[in-house]
Amino acid sequence: MVNLTIDDTQVTVPKDATIFDAAKAAGIRIPILCHDKKLQPFGGCRMCLVEVEQMKGRQIPACTTPVTEGMIVRTTTDEIVKARKLVLELLLLKHPIDCPVCDAAGDCDLQNLTYEYKVNLNRFQDEKFQHQIDYENPLIERDMNRCIHCGKCARICDEIVSYGAYTFMNRGIEAKIGTEFDGPLNCEFCGSCVSVCPVGALISRPFKFKARWWALNKVKSVCSYCGTGCQLTLGVKDGKVLTTIYDENQGFHNGQLCTRGRFGYQFVNSDKRLATPLIRKNGVLQQASWDEALTLVAAKLAEAKNAGGKAVAGLVTARLTNEELFLFKKLFKDGLGSDNIDHSAGYAHAALTAGAMESFGTVASPAAISDIQASDLLLVVKTDAYETHPVLGFEINLGVKRKEIDLRIISDKRGKLAKLPKAVTYVHKPGQEVALVNALAQVILAENLQDATATGIEGFEALKQQLADYAPENVAATCGLDADAIKNLARDYAKAAKALIILPLGLGYPGHGKALAQAIANLTLLTGKVGKEGCGVLYLGEKNNSQGAADLGVYPTAGGADADAIMTGCLNGSIKTLIVAGENPVVSYPDRKRVEAALDKVEFLVVQDLFLTETAAKAHVVLPACSFAEKGGTYTSVGRAVQRINQAIKPVGEARSDFAILNGLVASLTGSAPYADVAAVFAEIAATVPAYAGLSLAELGDTGAILPVTIKPRFVPAGAAVIPVESGKLALVTGSALYHCGTMSRFGEGPMHVCPEGYVELGRDDARALSVKEGDTVVVKSASGELKLKAKVGTRMPQGVVFAPYHFGEASVNSIAAGAAVTWVSISK
Amino acid sequence: MSNAPAEEIPTADIDLALANHVIDKYLTLPGNLMPVLQGIQEEYGYVPKPTIDLVAERLNIYPSQIYGVLTFYAQFHLKPRGKFIIRVCVGTACHVQGAPRIVETFFDKLGIGHAETTPDLRFTFEKVACLGACGMAPLAMVNDSTYGSMTVQKVGEIIADYSQRPMKK
Repeated sequence: MVNLTIDDTQVTVPKDATIFDAAKAAGIRIPILCHDKKLQPFGGCRMCLVEVEQMKGRQIPACTTPVTEGMIVRTTTDEIVKARKLVLELLLLKHPIDCPVCDAAGDCDLQNLTYEYKVNLNRFQDEKFQHQIDYENPLIERDMNRCIHCGKCARICDEIVSYGAYTFMNRGIEAKIGTEFDGPLNCEFCGSCVSVCPVGALISRPFKFKARWWALNKVKSVCSYCGTGCQLTLGVKDGKVLTTIYDENQGFHNGQLCTRGRFGYQFVNSDKRLATPLIRKNGVLQQASWDEALTLVAAKLAEAKNAGGKAVAGLVTARLTNEELFLFKKLFKDGLGSDNIDHSAGYAHAALTAGAMESFGTVASPAAISDIQASDLLLVVKTDAYETHPVLGFEINLGVKRKEIDLRIISDKRGKLAKLPKAVTYVHKPGQEVALVNALAQVILAENLQDATATGIEGFEALKQQLADYAPENVAATCGLDADAIKNLARDYAKAAKALIILPLGLGYPGHGKALAQAIANLTLLTGKVGKEGCGVLYLGEKNNSQGAADLGVYPTAGGADADAIMTGCLNGSIKTLIVAGENPVVSYPDRKRVEAALDKVEFLVVQDLFLTETAAKAHVVLPACSFAEKGGTYTSVGRAVQRINQAIKPVGEARSDFAILNGLVASLTGSAPYADVAAVFAEIAATVPAYAGLSLAELGDTGAILPVTIKPRFVPAGAAVIPVESGKLALVTGSALYHCGTMSRFGEGPMHVCPEGYVELGRDDARALSVKEGDTVVVKSASGELKLKAKVGTRMPQGVVFAPYHFGEASVNSIAAGAAVTWVSISK
Repeated sequence: MSNAPAEEIPTADIDLALANHVIDKYLTLPGNLMPVLQGIQEEYGYVPKPTIDLVAERLNIYPSQIYGVLTFYAQFHLKPRGKFIIRVCVGTACHVQGAPRIVETFFDKLGIGHAETTPDLRFTFEKVACLGACGMAPLAMVNDSTYGSMTVQKVGEIIADYSQRPMKK
């Protein structure tokens, strides 16, 4: 620690702190334009000049100067104020004073500092820049005339996003922030650059001219797309969510968001939202009152209850709050006497609810997000972890680039993570993850690299026996990797002092289920890499509350029907009533034909949703539900963070929250009084779900809480499924596109601008062999059907493997994929 | 993975074999971007766009950053250059000896301005600050040949001379 004096205040800070950090610790504000706490110090803008007595009163930048013992710093003297005024005058020489029409006004660092330093006159005169404004993309408007060359956009895109869209180009007075070949911006559109731009040079187009910054009501919430659990601030005016507002003090991610989080909010106020309940009359869905709809639903459910509860089932999305999921479970368990409930098609949560449950004795990941940057080696299963959870991808980027964490990837395709420095990617044949992970474990045993604790864990001998079949030499050919490569990877993992495994889950990843979760668990247990900082496994639940749905037991726990059995039950008539809350099985569950037939067959289908989805269109009663912005509650994200969402706007139309709908149904079916509010349900969760013990909604505050996890380890041998290979065909693997999450992002304008429709991605060799070019429409044919999709050609896919994202309703990939890890297809023009 | 092997890179209209050869040469050298770009310019006469994408992919550097480097240094050219590079000194000594008229005459006769190339890719014209031979002012150079004590008349002769020369190497 170093002691120094800043403006007569004594402060003690770590020795790697800068003067700026030290001043901040002492509560002294130093003005900045180019500095950002997330980025490496830059020292470009010269606003943070301070005087240091030991340097003979010279003015030096606070943001780049490290502290030294006994340093005496002055942050505000007449000379410093004069210097800062000069900096502002020089910036305003080129910066246009178009504040009345600039969206950044009110949230503009330059404007605020100009005001603070009272720069009302300029001693200099010059012409303004005449750069062309980039209107080419629908999300980010680039007006380089307003740019003050702080470089934050280029730095964040490089250091954190690792996309590198921007650079300083040209020299001297002609220098400006540009893109490759000074063309239009064409990137991931995460909007990180917009969030850090200190002026209005980069602005969000969907928000342009929507509201003045100071007129917005700012409501803290949590993103409702993927499982990362990014905190965000909604900008609200006149009962509408108009934008997301960057707050660098929110969450582990310091306010960073991805495309969906930043630009995908429009689904909240979409004009496609359902306004009233609908009831099917004479075969057509017609508007109805809530009373009529709820009376009908309650009567049908009462009937189902009286029939014993076996013939009623529920599918619920892991996007609902914990409190809503709790009520959903209660409705079935206590209200209807049924255990036929499930979510995420059953398989997308199996890694947690079956895999982790058996191996670790808990349904949660035995690691937290903070372990990513605390590790020495990250083993990522599929580069898709970046696509499914982009902000966790930023954490990986930061860890690898800034902390020099080793990165090993086993994947059926290449991807953005594979481009990180020192990343070693093992591209294996699709569907072979379990065999490969087992082979790693076998090497660890064969080379005696296991931890001393391993032999004491239940099931060790059985595992040892089972792994004997998985010697690298045995699996190398089926995995498509060298035996030596497998051995090297196993050694790297075993020898790293701290290592963390990351496994994305989701409806697009049917292979990432129980067996893979357990094979991975075995690997961590063998090497003693669990239960310590920087170690363990992060099972990345797909949806914002996937972890909560697992915690609350929203799946059959007493022998009831799972998602697949529910579909079978609907088809064979054993399930007569089905409630679907927020799920869209027609698009996202495997084998669309079968799902559609099941939903057509079921006698009474109730759908609660925001939109008239493909599933809702088949319902007998549709109940309009609320989005995350219209309700309060909690979500539990990856790494077990329980966080609050707050109501930002009144319900759209006549919509009611799933909480209100379910609360009423539970009361009417159990005959008990409804819960008073969300807090009452949360209190009951805290009282009945052990992991949530002791929590209260009020105490969660803005930051939330990390749930404790205790593990009871056990080795459970995980058998690798045999993937039948069909020669002459291509292996289709499904998954997530970077811009989408589930099927809800289709109603956000932002994601749809960037990625409006499904596609099939091919490697260059396959594309050449089929004479398919980027943008061609191709026919993809599997055993269960055929689809027309646009082709995308790139370097990601290895020969013989093609990829298609699953989010889209039209030409949905589940029309040709029936839930196998690999679907064999042929492609023709 | 950080350095992609050559065969994964697409080939467009431009023959990338030369660029691949240059990259192979410097692949393991730390800080290899500058020599690679210089080598590519040596081979093609300028830095064609497909080679930038190639360098980006093989050296794992963002294309935008490569573009930043290329536009920072005056030595790099992003457009094809003429077979014959005419450089006229406009330094102090040459300026006093009438370099501005020499420059104007070249502009008139070639129909191009500073740092521009004729459509037939025969001539590129550049004003330069000093060629280091002030005793011969006003001075012009065409590729490696020097022309001292330039006059307006000599401008015409030089253009006529180089217009006759073959375009092939």
